[in-house]
Amino acid sequence: MAWLRNAGLGGITGSPLAFALCCALLVALLGIPLLHNGYYENLFRGIFMFSAMALGWNVIGGYTGYVSFGNVVYFGLGAYASAFLAEHGVENVWLAIPLALLVAAAFAVVLGLPILRLRGHYFGIATLGIALAVEEIVANLDALGGGSGVTLRQAEWFPQYYYAMWLVCAASLLATWLIARSKFGYALVAIRENEDAAAVLGVNPTRYKIAAWAISGMMAAAAGAVFAFANGFIDPPTAFAVDDNVFPIVMAIFGGVGTAAGPLVGAFLLTAVNETLWSHFPQIHTLFFGAVIVLVVLFLPRGLLYLRNLRGGWRGFVRSLAAYRV
Amino acid sequence: MRDESDGAPFLRIQGVGVRFGGLQALDDVSFDVPRSAVVGLIGPNGSGKTTLMNVISGVIKPTRGRVEFRGRSIGDVPLHAVCRLGIARTFQIVKPFANLTVRENVAVGSMYGRDRRSTGEAFERAGELLEIVGLARVAERPASDLTIPDRKRLEVAKALALDPDVLLLDEVMAGLNATEVDEALALLREINARGVTLMVVEHLMKAIMSISTHVVVLAEGKKIAEGAPTDVVASPAVIEAYLGTRYVQRRRALGEIEREREEAEAMQPPGAH
Repeated sequence: MAWLRNAGLGGITGSPLAFALCCALLVALLGIPLLHNGYYENLFRGIFMFSAMALGWNVIGGYTGYVSFGNVVYFGLGAYASAFLAEHGVENVWLAIPLALLVAAAFAVVLGLPILRLRGHYFGIATLGIALAVEEIVANLDALGGGSGVTLRQAEWFPQYYYAMWLVCAASLLATWLIARSKFGYALVAIRENEDAAAVLGVNPTRYKIAAWAISGMMAAAAGAVFAFANGFIDPPTAFAVDDNVFPIVMAIFGGVGTAAGPLVGAFLLTAVNETLWSHFPQIHTLFFGAVIVLVVLFLPRGLLYLRNLRGGWRGFVRSLAAYRV
Repeated sequence: MRDESDGAPFLRIQGVGVRFGGLQALDDVSFDVPRSAVVGLIGPNGSGKTTLMNVISGVIKPTRGRVEFRGRSIGDVPLHAVCRLGIARTFQIVKPFANLTVRENVAVGSMYGRDRRSTGEAFERAGELLEIVGLARVAERPASDLTIPDRKRLEVAKALALDPDVLLLDEVMAGLNATEVDEALALLREINARGVTLMVVEHLMKAIMSISTHVVVLAEGKKIAEGAPTDVVASPAVIEAYLGTRYVQRRRALGEIEREREEAEAMQPPGAH
């Protein structure tokens, strides 16, 4: 795709080919509910959910360079937006999604103003703290079911939740692509690369960081809103699960941070690896899963989609290993 | 070009003081920069040159005093808005966006600077600027691939992408060889000829002297001399700051300083600045 770069296009989107393949894959997966196979429907709905969260994390962590360890807070808020509607008799996932988006955006602006002044590790620690604090707050709010959780009555036509999650995932992928093709995307990457230099060039860091965090949170919140209905029940430990915090980050890094398609690729591949390991080694699959993650981070610290960019192909890869890693 | 009929100086540094804890980095520095001038800012290491550049570009807010640009104080202007007033700078310690291409680096300035161009226009403008600074051959390479002289050029191109009226250049010629210095000087003259006011920090005396219309000398945070280049180098205070008190005393005893000043004045018509 050298011509795209030369035309000054596609510089920060990552591989356009990978993006196109991901789009094609998503379109093909629209047909899954026609198989009437509950396992596949659950599996892919889960992948879409993690994809959306990984894509969301990628906007703030990958493009803007602010490594958040608390994006699950948005997932939880989205889930509780659904629960709130359900408690008030509105059992409609299509209304829950816009509410979740609103809640996430408002939360991001209010908390982003103080939090995004922090840089590096300090930002990460603060986001982790927020996730834990919000979980505790929700657990003590009787209006939201407190510690005992909320049961959501599901619609009769269950595949609508599959399509809702598909939509959240596809919209997140498309939004990421559009961001990476826009001035906005370049502002985020400039902040990631050097915030002071970006400001001197006219980029308002505060404004763009908050916007990035809001978009990041909206992707996770929409996934959470659909999850709550698809799951039929949420309580604080389900809505703010540690796995839902960590997996999206690992997936984004595995696939390729700061690329449009990377997080989706990561979500699909890691879920496939996880499922395979789980079916073969039910007792110790997490051990293998952890080993896969460690190997990837060691040998491909910038993700699979960067393999293409290695100069000198596989020999170059081995050389760089010899130089830096082993 | 905005209106300057109210008589306010183009760029005025007025009583600027900066204190970092116990260190007085700048102390009551004042001078005016006329439009289209090339002001050389010199001084020994640690004299506050870069701090002053940081103050004028809004990176550091001064503890005392103010910087006025076209009669407007820039003290309350946020960093990202300073470039929209028409002030751009390069960093002595270069700050490229390492993972972006050279062209993208420059395009960001064009997108968010004064003209707020669309991405397509910004890439086009970046291409033109890379031609001007001589980086067109590496436009599509990641900035992390560049050599140090090329990184300095990239800094200049990024600053130019903001379409500035004043360009602050912090040691863009450091580490360049003689030919490259000549090229850089030619580039600065060309930029100045287009109406951009320059403020140049540089250690290379020869370069500063040949390009500046006006020189300001800092030592230990204070302005110790100001004027036409030839006057300033002959000033005892400047020689003392660079070479020490005893050197000046010895030369004064020999009458060398007065003789040199007379020679310099003979070469340079009075009121050159």
